[in-house]
Amino acid sequence: MNGSGVPLAAFVTAMLAAGLVAAVPLVLAALGEAVGEKSGLLNLGIEGMMLAGAFFGFLAAFQTGSAVLGVLGGIAAGAVLGLVFAALTVSLRVDQVLVGLAITIFGGGLTAFLYRDIFGGQNPSLNVDAPRIAIPLLSRIPVAGPAMFNQGVLFYLAFALVPAFAFVLARTRFGLQVRAVGEYPFAADAAGVDVTRTRYLAALIAGSMAGLAGAFLAVADLKIFQVGMTVGMGFIALALTMVGGWNPYRILLASVLFGLLRSLGNGLQILGIDVRTEFITMLPYIGIMIALAILAGRTSIPAALGIPYARGRR
Amino acid sequence: MANPHPPAPLSRRAGRGGNEEPIDRGPIIAMRDISKRFGPALANDHISLDLWPGEVHAVLGENGAGKTTLMNVLAGMYQPDAGTIRIAGEEVQIASPADALRRGIGTVYQHFTLVPNLSIVENVVLGDEGGFLPDLSAADAKLTAMLADFGLDVSPRTEIRNLALGQRQRVEIIKVLLRGSRVLVLDEPTSVLTPGEVTALLDLLRHLRDQGVAVVLITHKLGEALAVSDRVTILRNGRNVGEFGPDVMTGAAKESVRDRIVEQMFGATQPTETRHHGAQQSIDVSPGVAIKHPGHSEPAGEESRHSRTDAAFSRDSSFLGMTTSLRRSPSRAESGTTLLSLRGISTLGDRGAPALQDLSLDLHRGEVFGIAGVDGNGQKELGEVIAGQRAVSSGQIFLDGAEITNRGLGTATRLGIGYVTDDRLHEGSVAASSVTDNVALKAIGRQPFSNGFWLNRRAMDEEARRLIVEFGVKTPGPETAIGMLSGGNIQKLLLARELALAPKLLVCNKPTTGLDLRTARFVVQTLREQADAGKVVVLISSELDELMEISDRIGVMYNGQLVAVMPRGETDLETLGNLMLGGARRAFKVPA
Ligand SMILES: Nc1ncnc2c1ncn2[C@@H]1O[C@H](COP(=O)(O)OP(=O)(O)OP(=O)(O)O)[C@@H](O)[C@H]1O
Ligand SMILES: [Mg+2]
Repeated sequence: MNGSGVPLAAFVTAMLAAGLVAAVPLVLAALGEAVGEKSGLLNLGIEGMMLAGAFFGFLAAFQTGSAVLGVLGGIAAGAVLGLVFAALTVSLRVDQVLVGLAITIFGGGLTAFLYRDIFGGQNPSLNVDAPRIAIPLLSRIPVAGPAMFNQGVLFYLAFALVPAFAFVLARTRFGLQVRAVGEYPFAADAAGVDVTRTRYLAALIAGSMAGLAGAFLAVADLKIFQVGMTVGMGFIALALTMVGGWNPYRILLASVLFGLLRSLGNGLQILGIDVRTEFITMLPYIGIMIALAILAGRTSIPAALGIPYARGRR
Repeated sequence: MANPHPPAPLSRRAGRGGNEEPIDRGPIIAMRDISKRFGPALANDHISLDLWPGEVHAVLGENGAGKTTLMNVLAGMYQPDAGTIRIAGEEVQIASPADALRRGIGTVYQHFTLVPNLSIVENVVLGDEGGFLPDLSAADAKLTAMLADFGLDVSPRTEIRNLALGQRQRVEIIKVLLRGSRVLVLDEPTSVLTPGEVTALLDLLRHLRDQGVAVVLITHKLGEALAVSDRVTILRNGRNVGEFGPDVMTGAAKESVRDRIVEQMFGATQPTETRHHGAQQSIDVSPGVAIKHPGHSEPAGEESRHSRTDAAFSRDSSFLGMTTSLRRSPSRAESGTTLLSLRGISTLGDRGAPALQDLSLDLHRGEVFGIAGVDGNGQKELGEVIAGQRAVSSGQIFLDGAEITNRGLGTATRLGIGYVTDDRLHEGSVAASSVTDNVALKAIGRQPFSNGFWLNRRAMDEEARRLIVEFGVKTPGPETAIGMLSGGNIQKLLLARELALAPKLLVCNKPTTGLDLRTARFVVQTLREQADAGKVVVLISSELDELMEISDRIGVMYNGQLVAVMPRGETDLETLGNLMLGGARRAFKVPA
């Protein structure tokens, strides 16, 4: 494509849209991770859970021809791994970092193996409906309208989940218990909160959201599965959770910024502006590191993050 | 095992103006042959304990006797290895703290159980069983009244981490009270309360008893136990070694009870090894400190109960006279040369507010300098500044004439300044590390523990063993994680560690908090001996009688300033109490 031939407004719209779409899986995964970390669970397995969500989502959609079943399949795969994570770290008190990394490696290996085994070298793409929904009026706002208000269901869902997660964490009994359990589990236990149950639920949410993020990639966005297709997005989501200080709105902000920086890089290339590609691909990561450096220490990390709780041990 | 003491006759209860309805014949809680083992330590060894409705039951015993363990079993925190628990005659398994709460057993734990980054109201509703959305406004309403009753002038939306220790303790109690338990266990609830707050808490416990609640009070302060309890159980080495029922506790024989209790707790020990509570009595009368308790209208017969309190307290005070041997004439200290001088010191507290304002002080060799004050008036910060733990924002510090202002902790330690924190679990020790490692920690880079590169494990181990023996620390061995020891034993080790470094100046912040009578005695004596050997001891304490006993001079902190410094002989408990509350200065010398 020759950059000079594209009208500027259309170009900006496309870039905005690409940036927002790129933010969706990050927001989804990071929201789940925020709940997990608030409860004291540091999940380095997001990457593996996203891949599992992508693969099983793809598989389910491919077999049934239904995008909805595909997405549900992806969520289920993430949820199962979330429960595995909880069983190992909460019940058996295995180190969370080890378990998380193991899940990431396992998720990558398993999906690669199954994909090759089932699809045998072919790279089919999905033939499912994932319709765009244009929101009346709003989608006709110039430039930003089509980018923000002419998208798929999961796109809207991701953004709608932000206030929902913020509400759950800040206002509901479950959110209160999550925060207590991640800060001072002994106190929560003494108050009658079921620490184990709360952490299992948080892990379930973290896993499901990572699975959903993967399913979004494979089923809704790209409609294909590729081995290792998440390319580190799980770890980016992890960083965004911290950059966002476990606050859903700030996580959204950080994710969107990251997505926009990425699409800006791509856009510059498309426009044919002479910048080294290496630099362009680095752009969003540099952005994250700067944000981490600035925000580090601003919000306090959940005190019990990474520490298993055992009643009766001081 | 039948209980030797039948429930008190109803007439006694009715006379208190409380619950007039007939009360169940049996105990509300019957614990039978409870055993609990932690590795080699048998923390509870076939303990049986009955709790009766409408009684305050004191559980006493030295550090590590197993009191907390037993109550944790009742609270569902620990599962007993053996033994049974009956609630109102019915045998139960208390599976978890949630289970205990559901069965009406509320516990104020020895260690804090408030989530620091949640608000008061969030902590209160945290464990409630309710719908998806907790009703914070409804809880706010209940709490606001309760907070006011407890003299807490804070909004229910205040985060716990912004509260002082004493305030947090009161929130702990409120939290449990709001659950409406029929059994209420308080494990050393008074250790961070001011005397006025203690008095109010004891009143509250009487009130609850009159409502038919079974109250358990664990304390190391015999005066408190004698003042409120209807029944006393004494634990020793994990066993129940004695019980005194209402007949003794409220009867005429009370006078001799104290000595018998002390004897049961420690074996044949001198009654002089007893801590005193004269302070409590004199501060009781100060206006403005007493906290009211909720909905408590003074019933008839209140008078007689209060006189009972006073009798117990004054009996405590009478022991003051038996310890004169510890007191030295202040003149010797004054002739001592100056070791450390503070000049115009100001500094900020942890929350960024000014904690010390233009404070000057000279410390002399051979003296114990006592610091009194209501929590949060700068005592902790002053101790930290003297110990080189906290930087000052203005002013100068001199050690033997040489300036050492803001030289940092390492320098202070090297120059022979020691510090024992009041935060033994977090600041003072590495809970998961062994006793040996904790003991060696402060001198880990030096001979004999290290040649600069390799650690000398044998030397560390020997030192730990020596201190364990010398200070009588109860631990399975030097390799045990220090966090597993009982609170009192951790405290002993922290002091032992500092003394082993042979400091010239030792700052101790509330070193006897949570210690049993004998250990507290030992610590106080040790500090006095240090001063007599020419060292300087700075003792921050909320136990006024302890200060009065061993200090050569006592300084009172109020609002970040030393409002008075008095030779011990020239002050009394009442004056101190007044000064602590910001009362008018008397005609005493103020530091240069
Ligand atoms: N969780 C634990 N793990 C290992 N050992 C423990 C644990 N809890 C208590 N112990 C041990 O059990 C014994 C009794 O401890 P406990 O805390 O019940 O004493 P206590 O009577 O409450 O003492 P204190 O007056 O100092 O609070 C001690 O020797 C202690 O080291
Ligand atoms: Mg205890």
